[in-house]
Amino acid sequence: VTDLQWARVSNDAFTVALFAYLAAMVGYFAYLAFRREAIWKVSRAVAFAGLGANLISIIARGFAADRVPWGNMYEYSVLLSLLVVAGYLLIVEGMYKLRTLGGFALMFSVLTMAVAVSFLYVGPGPLVPALNSYWIKIHVQAAIWGSSLFALGGIVTILYLFQDRWERREIESLAAKQPPPIMGGAVDLSAPAGLDTDVDELGAAAVAAPKRGRLPSAQTLDRVAYRIIAFAFPIWTFAVIAGAIWAQEAWGRYWGWDPKETWSFITWVIYAGYLHARSTSGWKGRPAAVIALVGFVSLLITYYAVNLWIVGLHSYKGF
Amino acid sequence: MRTALILLLLLALASVMGSLIPQYPNTPERVAQYKIDHGLFGSFLDRAGLFDVFGSWWFALITFLLFVSLVACLVPRTRALIRSLRSRPVQAREIDSFRHYAERNVAAAPEAVIAGSRRILRRRMFRVASDPARPALAAEKGAAREVGSLLFHWAFILILAGVIYGKGTGFSGYAVVVEGDTWIDAAANYDGQIRTGRFFGGDFTGTGLRLREFESAFRETGQPMDFVSRVDLIDADGSTIRSQDIRVNHPADVNGIRFYQINFGWAPRIVIRDAAGAAFDDTVVMDRDPAPEGIPDFAMPWRGVIKLPGAGEGSNAPDRAVELELWPDSRALFALLNGDEPQAMLTEFEPVIRYTVWDGRLTELATNAFDTTFMRETTSGILGAGRTVTLGGGDRAAGNGGGSSATIGFPDLKQYSVFQVSRDAGVPIVLLAAILILVGLLPALYTSRRKVWVRAEPAGTGAGSVLKVGGFALQRRPQFEDEFAKLLDALTDEAGGVPTDRGERERVSAP
Repeated sequence: VTDLQWARVSNDAFTVALFAYLAAMVGYFAYLAFRREAIWKVSRAVAFAGLGANLISIIARGFAADRVPWGNMYEYSVLLSLLVVAGYLLIVEGMYKLRTLGGFALMFSVLTMAVAVSFLYVGPGPLVPALNSYWIKIHVQAAIWGSSLFALGGIVTILYLFQDRWERREIESLAAKQPPPIMGGAVDLSAPAGLDTDVDELGAAAVAAPKRGRLPSAQTLDRVAYRIIAFAFPIWTFAVIAGAIWAQEAWGRYWGWDPKETWSFITWVIYAGYLHARSTSGWKGRPAAVIALVGFVSLLITYYAVNLWIVGLHSYKGF
Repeated sequence: MRTALILLLLLALASVMGSLIPQYPNTPERVAQYKIDHGLFGSFLDRAGLFDVFGSWWFALITFLLFVSLVACLVPRTRALIRSLRSRPVQAREIDSFRHYAERNVAAAPEAVIAGSRRILRRRMFRVASDPARPALAAEKGAAREVGSLLFHWAFILILAGVIYGKGTGFSGYAVVVEGDTWIDAAANYDGQIRTGRFFGGDFTGTGLRLREFESAFRETGQPMDFVSRVDLIDADGSTIRSQDIRVNHPADVNGIRFYQINFGWAPRIVIRDAAGAAFDDTVVMDRDPAPEGIPDFAMPWRGVIKLPGAGEGSNAPDRAVELELWPDSRALFALLNGDEPQAMLTEFEPVIRYTVWDGRLTELATNAFDTTFMRETTSGILGAGRTVTLGGGDRAAGNGGGSSATIGFPDLKQYSVFQVSRDAGVPIVLLAAILILVGLLPALYTSRRKVWVRAEPAGTGAGSVLKVGGFALQRRPQFEDEFAKLLDALTDEAGGVPTDRGERERVSAP
């Protein structure tokens, strides 16, 4: 098989993966809306098929270019999509048994792949000398794994923020509907002290009942987001350290405030802030989630904006 | 902690500015352009140090304050940790109100139950203390979380120490070496300015680097593939240390300094002779013209200038300068002259030099800048490699007939290699700190502090006793639920109870 044939296999598998993800995304959204077991099973199968095609696309790309298939933004995006879908299927669906978030995770991968093929595509080719190091295996892999997990955590965080708002509104409306309690035969319009806990239980009950079109409870989403981000954080830390070691070998300094270094540091600081906020009273829940969301935006800047628009040593959009 | 977090956030915000505004140490030419484009705003940014955010006094101040607040935070925490590691787990008055609590009927006597429980807890790495007043135990586990967290945070102080030590005593500069030449590590031999640390003692090593050969390889597309400098490393006493290939990602490490492959270019050997003999015979390090948008970098010619004070021809012995424009691949020059597409010059192919001779008064002798204000062009021409031509021009008006006697020769085209030479003795410290950060981070995130209390009371009826176990986890509570249940089974089993025999008061999770 020639390099050119491998390149065609890679591109065809990419197309298959993109459409499989798209179909699975629609399926998962349908499952969220109608809660039919069969829809979920089919969507899951299609997502796995897409995952297989995605993997073939990456491997074939590696054979076509005769090197590791993560040497430019297009390849990085394809691998990122794979890991986000795989992360969703293994962690969110496998470990935490949440089936309703598939549409959102797949949407992220579909968008990533669509952007990759529309704006970032380059044919398989060799690497520039600066990238030609075994550190590309260590540093870039760690960065991709960290990014994909942060992305997954970011998706869950966004859903948490929506769900949390919805739950608050639901609780408020339930509280408003409550008839004023009758005390000693008289109607007391001021709420008794115990009302808050009652409302909480009511709210929890309303949330707990699995309903069509409803996401998992805010509490669950918050916990899952935290778990994923806490898993990603050491990987990201390692990616930054590995990058610094590589920079010492390639550029003669381990840290030079190159835009990529700066933004990976900013992303790291924001997520470190999130982890601290989670364990600080008064910052749990929404405020912490907002920090995680800012971290997600910073991650996207670190990847897209720094590579494409900010001039620095990592501005290799092409090769 | 709050202060430290706010300062960390400020540091991140400063970094955002540093990445959006061009920075002098990274891209000086973009800073200059930015200043031209933004006028007053640009000079305001300059005044505020925003063109060198990471070297500005306020960035250093934020960093300093951050570390002060970090230390202020870590010292009491470390003390508390040491105190808690030294002290024994504290007994509880009531254990049935803890988040997890269960009772079991077991066969062993209370003292035996406690002895067995102690074994089980010890085996599970709990620190155990017995109650002198009654058959009871207090146990705890998971100090690794706080130890890891403190290790993680202290490691940043170590990073700071490594950075200050390494950058403070280190230096970084550039060495330009032509093929066949030997470069010696001494202050005068660096190209341009040497960046030195505040505590740099000027202790250059005298290490030599002889560039035997430079090779570059390109793909057909013009994409660079590999750059190699084949060098001999020579000690200060003149003995050869070793031969090595320096390429991108593969620096040479010798006598505490490192050589990194940074750049390369062409260096023609030029021989200029006048009536008095050889006026110039050396290699000239050429710079490549910056390529305009859309034209490959390597399509541009290379430029250099030879300054010969007092070598001009005519009365009063004016200065002479020879401007050179090198085309390493002459096909590119002909393509240009024919009006064809610009061609990248990736390898040497019948190189030619276009030269221009200027006579007059040289102003900037010390630098590479070439100012023609007080000079006039006397002659120009084209010269192929291996050829020598007569400089036709000269000051014929002077009538001394010297004009045509000068010659210029281009016997040989060589390559030069640019190395970054640097020393940073702090690298091992920073690397160690980075490893400690990771080592500390894992237990800090993935372990939890757990406390367990065990009590044994004589059973109300007959032999045996009632085993009471209470406990809670400070973090990772869902995981502790499972751990507590397993621990309870093990304790019951050890005390001769039936694990499935659930006591009448059973509460495994919170109320």
